[in-house]
Amino acid sequence: MKRSYVIKRILYAIFIFFVVLTLNFFIPRLGVRDPAERYYPPQGAMSEIEYEIIKQFTRAQYGFDVSTFQQYIRYIRGLARLDLGTSLRSGSPKVTALIGERLPWTLVLSVTTLIISLSIGLLFGTLAAWRRGRWQDTLLLNASTVSVALPAFFIALMLSFYLGFELELFPAYTNPNMVAQFDWSWEAIQVVLNNAALPIMSMAMGGIVGFSQSTRNSVIAVTNEDFVITARAKGLSHTTVLYKHILRNAMLPLATSIGMSISGLIGGAIIIEQVFNWQGMGTLFLEANSTNDYPLMMGIMLFLSAFAILANLITELLYVILDPRVTVGDKR
Amino acid sequence: MSTRNVLLQVARRGGSLLSLLKKLWGHPKGRLGLILVSLLVLVAVLAPVLAPYDPYDVTQRAEKGLRPSLEHPLGTTITTGQDILSMLIYGARVSLMIGIITGVILAFLGALMGVIAGYVGGFADNLIMRVVDILLVIPTLPLIIVLTNLLGRSYFVIVLVFVAFGWTGLARVIRSLVLVLKNSNYVKAAELAGASRWYIMTKHILPGTSHLIIMNTTLTCAGIMVAEAGLSFLGLGDPTAISWGKMLAEAQGGGALLFGAWWWILAPGAGIFLAVFSFMRIGIVMEEIFNPRMKASSSIYKIFKHLNNTYLDEVFQSMEDEEPDDSAEEPFSNAPAPEGGHD
Amino acid sequence: MTSAMLEVRNLKVAFPCPGGIIRAVEGIDLATKKGECVALVGESGCGKSVTALSIMRLLRTPPSVSRVDKLELAGRDLTHRTEREMERIRGKDMAMIFQDAMTALNPVMTVGKQIDEVYRRHTNLGKKEARERTVRALELVGVPEARSRADSFPHELSGGMRQRVLIALAFACIPKLIIADEPTTSLDVTIQAQVLDVLRTMQREHGVSALLITHDLSVVANMADTVYVMYSGKIVERAAMQDLFTDPLHPYTQGLLASVPRLSDDKQAFVQIPDTVPHPMRKPTGCYFHPRCSRTSGRCEEHMPRLEALENGRQVRCWHPLREERET
Repeated sequence: MKRSYVIKRILYAIFIFFVVLTLNFFIPRLGVRDPAERYYPPQGAMSEIEYEIIKQFTRAQYGFDVSTFQQYIRYIRGLARLDLGTSLRSGSPKVTALIGERLPWTLVLSVTTLIISLSIGLLFGTLAAWRRGRWQDTLLLNASTVSVALPAFFIALMLSFYLGFELELFPAYTNPNMVAQFDWSWEAIQVVLNNAALPIMSMAMGGIVGFSQSTRNSVIAVTNEDFVITARAKGLSHTTVLYKHILRNAMLPLATSIGMSISGLIGGAIIIEQVFNWQGMGTLFLEANSTNDYPLMMGIMLFLSAFAILANLITELLYVILDPRVTVGDKR
Repeated sequence: MSTRNVLLQVARRGGSLLSLLKKLWGHPKGRLGLILVSLLVLVAVLAPVLAPYDPYDVTQRAEKGLRPSLEHPLGTTITTGQDILSMLIYGARVSLMIGIITGVILAFLGALMGVIAGYVGGFADNLIMRVVDILLVIPTLPLIIVLTNLLGRSYFVIVLVFVAFGWTGLARVIRSLVLVLKNSNYVKAAELAGASRWYIMTKHILPGTSHLIIMNTTLTCAGIMVAEAGLSFLGLGDPTAISWGKMLAEAQGGGALLFGAWWWILAPGAGIFLAVFSFMRIGIVMEEIFNPRMKASSSIYKIFKHLNNTYLDEVFQSMEDEEPDDSAEEPFSNAPAPEGGHD
Repeated sequence: MTSAMLEVRNLKVAFPCPGGIIRAVEGIDLATKKGECVALVGESGCGKSVTALSIMRLLRTPPSVSRVDKLELAGRDLTHRTEREMERIRGKDMAMIFQDAMTALNPVMTVGKQIDEVYRRHTNLGKKEARERTVRALELVGVPEARSRADSFPHELSGGMRQRVLIALAFACIPKLIIADEPTTSLDVTIQAQVLDVLRTMQREHGVSALLITHDLSVVANMADTVYVMYSGKIVERAAMQDLFTDPLHPYTQGLLASVPRLSDDKQAFVQIPDTVPHPMRKPTGCYFHPRCSRTSGRCEEHMPRLEALENGRQVRCWHPLREERET
């Protein structure tokens, strides 16, 4: 029973991937009749005939010389080989290679932020739920409202200003040599941590508050359930009640929100990376944008979508494992 | 209370927009939110009147990088010498306009999708939910970046993407509510009476969702304003317009951090904060109004803090049986001396 | 007095809330002897469940406030125990069976583990031995294939099965007192009888005292030795089961008995007590039942009748109990 559910979800994920992939294919063709238009060099002093030849050459170079359908097939074939295309940069590096270079750096920020947000969030959320109505709880509620209203990039700017420029505790801009000089030595790692401190702080603030709030709501909802009274009526110690009964159930809906934050992890760091000039996927994407490097842009888009699909799928499957009630049928 | 009951409660809180406003006014936090929002709207509308200078007017530029003074309460920008306070006031226009316009469109679209999915069900429901799944997977920020590249930088593109992707949240929530409303008696009665689906959807189901829509829309507006700030920060909006996000980008790029012109950063940030905060306030208060159970905890705690023992003693004392009054009262015939009461 | 198991004297529970204060339980006395089954009967909203939770001291302050003159289990006082001490007592010396077994069981834990927990908490048994006892407990309450069933999750069992699990949970350590809060209300009628059977057998065989809380008089007739009738936070009648059914004294009791449809009835209409239970925040003056009572007088409106003790351990709280006519 469960197995068929798992298979269904995987097939569905593949289906969605196909739709997204198709969209990805067609988006760059928006707004122009001739999709190769964006790749043509400027006409300059060339005559019409010369320009026509150049255009044909460009089309062939970028694969626009075949029918759209064939291009689509080629695209899919490429994806099957994990080839996301070739960037327009000098040297024509593969998109996959570029992503591979920068992704780890984004992960440094995102994963650390996630871990920090989760652990502190769970702690504080449970505390706020336990002390419902008291100052810890009200503090959280106010912090939540404030945190949403203060965008992460604004916090980033303020931190960059005070901790970076004024107090000089951390570098306000990422050291441009950080990536090149990284050699897994302890000093290099320290440099990375030093530079990553402000970006992580900016992102973590919102994350902590967010997770605290979700945890708190979840724990309160569960604490009001009957089986918690049963557990207490059995005379179990209140730590047992808290961990085995309350938290074990409260974590379930959290799994979904964790999954969702994971998918937003990579794409969401774009602005923060920009503020600190951190050389990750976000800045890669912005660079691609400013140079109209469409293959790179769309390659990254597809990668991000695929990542989101995967994250969702894993979350759903995790839910199946954790919650014995989930068997067949969609939980809509 | 089960989810179903909660949703029904939300639907049942009848009353028009006016009564809603009255309720908000009566609530202390709600009042604050209303005042702030009204102020912001006023500032945005009356910008030309309120702003000491016209930031769009090149002739009104002053010396660059001035610190705050009487003439320029927030100083001038380092890059162009524009008066920051005026920019702040004009910036309200962009944020509020985009936030409110997008919010309203999303209200319609999301509600429509949600009602159709929930009420019509079947294939339409499936289709809509699949579309939702697909939209949720595509990263919105990169997409907006791509589209502004392809179609040109404008707030139109931004609003378009917001609308195209943002209806999913409201649709889902409305759909859940509609599923519950579908089974309520008055809807069933209307169905039996032969009313068309469209009629039922507009006359019966939609009104029941109105409060949820309003509440959700307010919060959505807040979220959109934050998102727009981020996009403007990245330079994706109209390059000629003045918006708070763009001010922040200019501040960073213009060396505000370097030269310690913290007011240039703080001002637009404060603007964003106020706008988002006030909308959220209203949204949260609305949630409390429609779903009073949420409020229970902290108010119970406050009650307990202020509970004094004499009041409790009185209450408990009143639960005691009255002393037997030997003279007039006779309990009833054949009763032995009363022992059962606790005196 | 020597065989007294549960003694509750003057229990009062209130819930302060924004609009006022909810008077849930207004000074009630309860007593159970060893091995006796006592029923607490009343409509929903009269404070029965609150009473049960108070006896187990499961009510939290906030949101409740309570006072009690005496709360003793087997002669030992419970009011001055710390929460830790109460944790040792609950599940071991006194246990509770809840109404809705679906929500009363942890959905992500197997039923076996949930019973194991009780053994491992209150005895020195290791994992294996605890599981043995659990299986035995399940067998005793009539769960077929107990060993494999123990590894099921609550949602995989039928309603009746789940209720049996709750019973097994409660009886696990053979407590001195079992409080059963509407143990059969959420079940089908056919299953009700089975579950009641189990409950009665377990209670009689192990000599466990029981406080049975219900609004269903047929359940009372099946199991109880003594019956307390509760109305809007107050005890209005107490009698041995037979006496109550054949010779009710309080008009409310009479109304309850009359409104139970019986196959042997020759009446044509449903009998209903008019109106509804008073709102716990806005109770009537005088006797709480007077607005619905057919025997009410001026006195009833002004003064709350006292709980008078009569022969045979009977008690009644009424200015005009049903016996009045017979005397005059």
